[in-house]
Amino acid sequence: MKTSAVFSAVLSLLTLASARSSTTSSSGSSSRADLPSTFTPPQVFKNANLVHVISAEKNYIKETINVVIENIDKAAQDEYYLPFTADQVSRLGGVEVKDRKDASAGLFAAEVVEFDPTSDTQYLRIQLPTPLKSGAQQTLGITYYLLKAYKPLPASIKQEESQFLTFSFSAYCPSVYTTSKQKTEVKFSSANVPDYTKLPGSGDIKQFPQKQGSKLTYGPFDEKPAGAVEPVQVRFEFTKPVTHVSHLERDIEVSHWGGNVAFEERYTLYHRGANLSSLFNRVKWAQSAYYSPSTSALKEIKFPLRVGSVDPYYTDVIGNVSTSRFRSNKREALLEIKPRYPIFGGWKYPFTIGWNSDAKNFLRKLSGDSYILNVPFLEGPKQPEGVEYEEVQVRVILPEGAENIKYYTTIPALSITDAEVKVHKTFLDTIGRGALVIKARNLVDDFRERELIVSYDVPFMASIRKPLIVFGSAMVLFVSTWILGSVNLKF
Amino acid sequence: MTANSLEALASAGKGRSTRTLLRVVILCLIAGAAIASRLFSVIRFESIIHEFDPWFNFRATKYLVANGFYKFWDWFDDRTWHPLGRVTGGTLYPGLMVTSGVIYHALRTLTIPVDIRNICVLLAPAFSGLTAFAAYLLTNEMTTTDSASAGLLAALFMGITPGYISRSVAGSYDNEAIAIFLLVFTFYLWIKALKQGSMLWGALCALFYGYMVASWGGYAFITCLLPLHAFVLICMGRYSSRLYVAYCTWYALGTLASMQIPFVGFLPVKTSEHMPALGIFGFLQLVAFLSYVRSAIPGRQYQTFLWLFAGGTFAVALAGLVIATSAGIIAPWGGRFYSLWDTSYAKIHIPIIASVSEHQPTAWPAFFFDLNLLIWLFPAGVYLCFQNLADEHVFIVVYALFGSYFAGVMVRLMLTLTPVVCVAAALAISSVLDTYLVAKAPAPPQVHNAEDASEASVKKASKGGLKSTSKPVVGVYSYISKGVVVTAMTIYLLLFVLHCTWVTSNAYSSPSVVLASKMPDGSQHIIDDYREAYQWLRQNTREDAKIMSWWDYGYQIGGMADRPTLVDNNTWNNTHIATVGKAMSSREEVSYPIMRQHEVDYVLVVFGGLLGYSGDDINKFLWMVRIAEGIWPDEIKEREFFTPRGEYRVDGEATEAMKNSLMYKMSYYNYNALFPPGQAQDRVRGVRLPDVGPTLDTLEEAYTSENWIIRIYKVKDLDNLGRDHTSAAAFERGHKKKKATKKRGPRVLRVE
Repeated sequence: MKTSAVFSAVLSLLTLASARSSTTSSSGSSSRADLPSTFTPPQVFKNANLVHVISAEKNYIKETINVVIENIDKAAQDEYYLPFTADQVSRLGGVEVKDRKDASAGLFAAEVVEFDPTSDTQYLRIQLPTPLKSGAQQTLGITYYLLKAYKPLPASIKQEESQFLTFSFSAYCPSVYTTSKQKTEVKFSSANVPDYTKLPGSGDIKQFPQKQGSKLTYGPFDEKPAGAVEPVQVRFEFTKPVTHVSHLERDIEVSHWGGNVAFEERYTLYHRGANLSSLFNRVKWAQSAYYSPSTSALKEIKFPLRVGSVDPYYTDVIGNVSTSRFRSNKREALLEIKPRYPIFGGWKYPFTIGWNSDAKNFLRKLSGDSYILNVPFLEGPKQPEGVEYEEVQVRVILPEGAENIKYYTTIPALSITDAEVKVHKTFLDTIGRGALVIKARNLVDDFRERELIVSYDVPFMASIRKPLIVFGSAMVLFVSTWILGSVNLKF
Repeated sequence: MTANSLEALASAGKGRSTRTLLRVVILCLIAGAAIASRLFSVIRFESIIHEFDPWFNFRATKYLVANGFYKFWDWFDDRTWHPLGRVTGGTLYPGLMVTSGVIYHALRTLTIPVDIRNICVLLAPAFSGLTAFAAYLLTNEMTTTDSASAGLLAALFMGITPGYISRSVAGSYDNEAIAIFLLVFTFYLWIKALKQGSMLWGALCALFYGYMVASWGGYAFITCLLPLHAFVLICMGRYSSRLYVAYCTWYALGTLASMQIPFVGFLPVKTSEHMPALGIFGFLQLVAFLSYVRSAIPGRQYQTFLWLFAGGTFAVALAGLVIATSAGIIAPWGGRFYSLWDTSYAKIHIPIIASVSEHQPTAWPAFFFDLNLLIWLFPAGVYLCFQNLADEHVFIVVYALFGSYFAGVMVRLMLTLTPVVCVAAALAISSVLDTYLVAKAPAPPQVHNAEDASEASVKKASKGGLKSTSKPVVGVYSYISKGVVVTAMTIYLLLFVLHCTWVTSNAYSSPSVVLASKMPDGSQHIIDDYREAYQWLRQNTREDAKIMSWWDYGYQIGGMADRPTLVDNNTWNNTHIATVGKAMSSREEVSYPIMRQHEVDYVLVVFGGLLGYSGDDINKFLWMVRIAEGIWPDEIKEREFFTPRGEYRVDGEATEAMKNSLMYKMSYYNYNALFPPGQAQDRVRGVRLPDVGPTLDTLEEAYTSENWIIRIYKVKDLDNLGRDHTSAAAFERGHKKKKATKKRGPRVLRVE
């Protein structure tokens, strides 16, 4: 294993060196298109110190790389690259980069540069707001999430057995730059970690990793060349469901006349954990309900809604589901739903929830005809084990006649794949209403509180168009009926 | 209320346009009441499709909305009756689905976002409002006066009588939902055509008849009733050109319209059920011809001509019918038709029809339950029709006789009786009210009679014999008698409303897919096992996984679980149903090859033992046995499922055939484990079960719903090591091989 890692590291060094000469000019304001397929990031930085924290506490992976970078080039540099495999890029979400020392610098722009779709290595390019001078250092805090990160081992378990998951990663943080000093920490939700790859230690530590409670630490390691990897695998107990929402459609419908904002969310939910080795046994399930042991089955989902939410509903494709509770008071509006059946590994359960809220909780009228709407981008369930969303589509349906629609969101820009304004016709609309459709991918429930702000204008004439049209059509109907009625038809 | 305002109110009803307005308002209120009284289930539960057949109609409607009319017309459904499939487009009455589809598209054009399910759920209540209106029109044709009281009462009765509500509550998305409206309206148009001798009304009648044919198999009721009416009229010597025009227009256009429906096709000229209509059509031509001849030739010659002609024609027609029937050109009467004449026919010959509860003969309390006071007003109304016997009254009399007979034979045909009961009862009540509700005393025919009129009524009893010689005094003079009769009638009517509400709320508003129970604190608890299991099937099995269950659940599985089924409520293939019955009632060794041959992946049974839900499969089991026995009398014997003392038992005393049947095993498999040893109890049958539960070798439990109502089993694949399932399962349980081979029964299980 070790030899192969060194080999690949040397190989990647070689490719780096060969590509460097050809692509030095491509740095700067290059977009995706003009990166040649032989692109490799220029060796202009050095990772002076790197701490890689992998959190496997929830059913997705949250990684935080805190790195002190140093410009070793002669010129000032403003592009830092982070490598990912192509598979990881498809599951990567919620990338946020900031300066650890200077919180006022805000979030740095980061994007995936797809220079060669067939290449297994893809790069995340981080744009530093101010170019780093030669020899200067900056501390970056890079956070991102990986979805569908685990594989259950054993792949199928008995109903009452506990579930174990595995996760593979590199003990050396993957980097395109030389790393002087680094360590990798892995955190779990339980201290029961029966298997993990052991590495020979260095310095006064005999063997990596060190285990402290529910935390494993690989490192600190001494200087590693660019591209060095050391594949390791951990297997840990995870007695909670591995909830995966493959598709979430969230509709937010604003009504000025009704003074109401209606929410509807349609989930396609999967359990990605260990399957049942023998089929579902109701007797065992009923008996286990008495002493409620921790189970990997998903029994209940809790949605803490915004205070002031009313009229919740919970349905699925064949009708209303009666097993839900809604607790609403001045402090909370908690919707607790139970699926029709406990969801075990490999099972699927699509469902729909919805609720209403007073428009004044979300909508504000600015001067004149313009309005501003501030809603949560995501309001999914809040579970101790977390929830991951592969595809999210948020649709904000504005009143008929809304124009000049603009939006702003605090969701990481990398996660948003598409945003457009479409026309949606409903409730006796004549010209249809503007619907802002935002598509995002690879989100997790950590982004629950992120805002979506939409501003739009509704001219006065547009707002009274519908009453006029309905009144007019009704008049036309009555008059024509009256005229037809007074025609004398003798049979 | 002062007398002044009373007068104002009374005078308000005088003007013609005021009356029309009042009628419209009253009819709208009646329609509102009709719709509102059908919404119990939506309010108590949710907007959900009820029971069994509506699930198919709903599924078909969704298919129509999604794929368009032509695809629907050509729909071959390979997800039912596996592996045969069903030519669904050609074997259904499309009227209901097309109606909902049209409404759906109309609303969508107005950009009203309405779910197709809600249209389907609310279609029956909406049409009940229209039925009330049609009953108003029909009844108005019966009265000669301008008073609409009979019509309005009939509309009210039609709106809320439980006999009709039973098939038209919200969610009861069945053919009857629109068919009763069409039935009443067709009758109205027929009366109108007959009265006016109008081709236009006759054509309209044919049009609605065509719609009716497209909607419900019960159209045969119209097909038989109208010729019967025409025949009775001719026999009464009431032949007229009005009858000729009305009948011929209706028959010619109506038959053509009905033949456009693929499911009906050439039946109107081929089957015996449709022969009366054809016969009367021919007969009318003869009568018309004769009446022409009569006007052309002298009386004496006409007599001879008539007898010869009539006898000759009758003989030729009869011979033609017999020959055509024996040659197979005209199909003989169908089995369902025979069961209308002999109520025990179905039980012996077609158990599949007898097994449906709504095909049973009606118990007499059902008449009172479904019609309440209408049932005793009904004869009075029919009697009143005799008082003033015009052509349309003959229709009511004929309909009343015909409808009463069929309602007595089959529970579900109560529905066809209900309209005539409402009309007749409304005639009776309105004649009572019209007589007694007049505040003004009638003007005496002679002045001197008026003075002793009140004395006369007192002395009537003693001097009856003497009074009969004088002219009877007509009219009610005393306010007391008026008050008493009107009060009594009002109380009856109020009680009727109470009864209707009670019956609707308690008997007819349960979706049967969802069960309700009460929590200890009185709050409602929903038992939703059906949908729990169907949803599990839908989400966690292969899309083409075949589900075997008894045919009752076929439509629900198709609609809710969206999985292919072997048999469903269409029951078109008795052998296929019997095959499932055989698989359910045989030993595992016999059932397994059957299931393999039909590619069954899952078997679904309904078990009510834990909850005390009595409509479960063990209680239906004898019908499975009977139907299977009809095809395989040598292999399945009903007798073997009864103990020597003739009891049907499921406990330790159950017969060997019962204990080894797949149904029994699936119902009670693993049920013991839920109880302390020896305490397992079946709460439906109220018996304690044996200590050792049944074992299953060829199936494994896949899912059991929360209250155990639905149990789903997965059919095991062939054993990897080539063993038979019995020994494989015995090995799994840790038995030695020697023991396993001792088991009796056929040993070779491999199919392929």
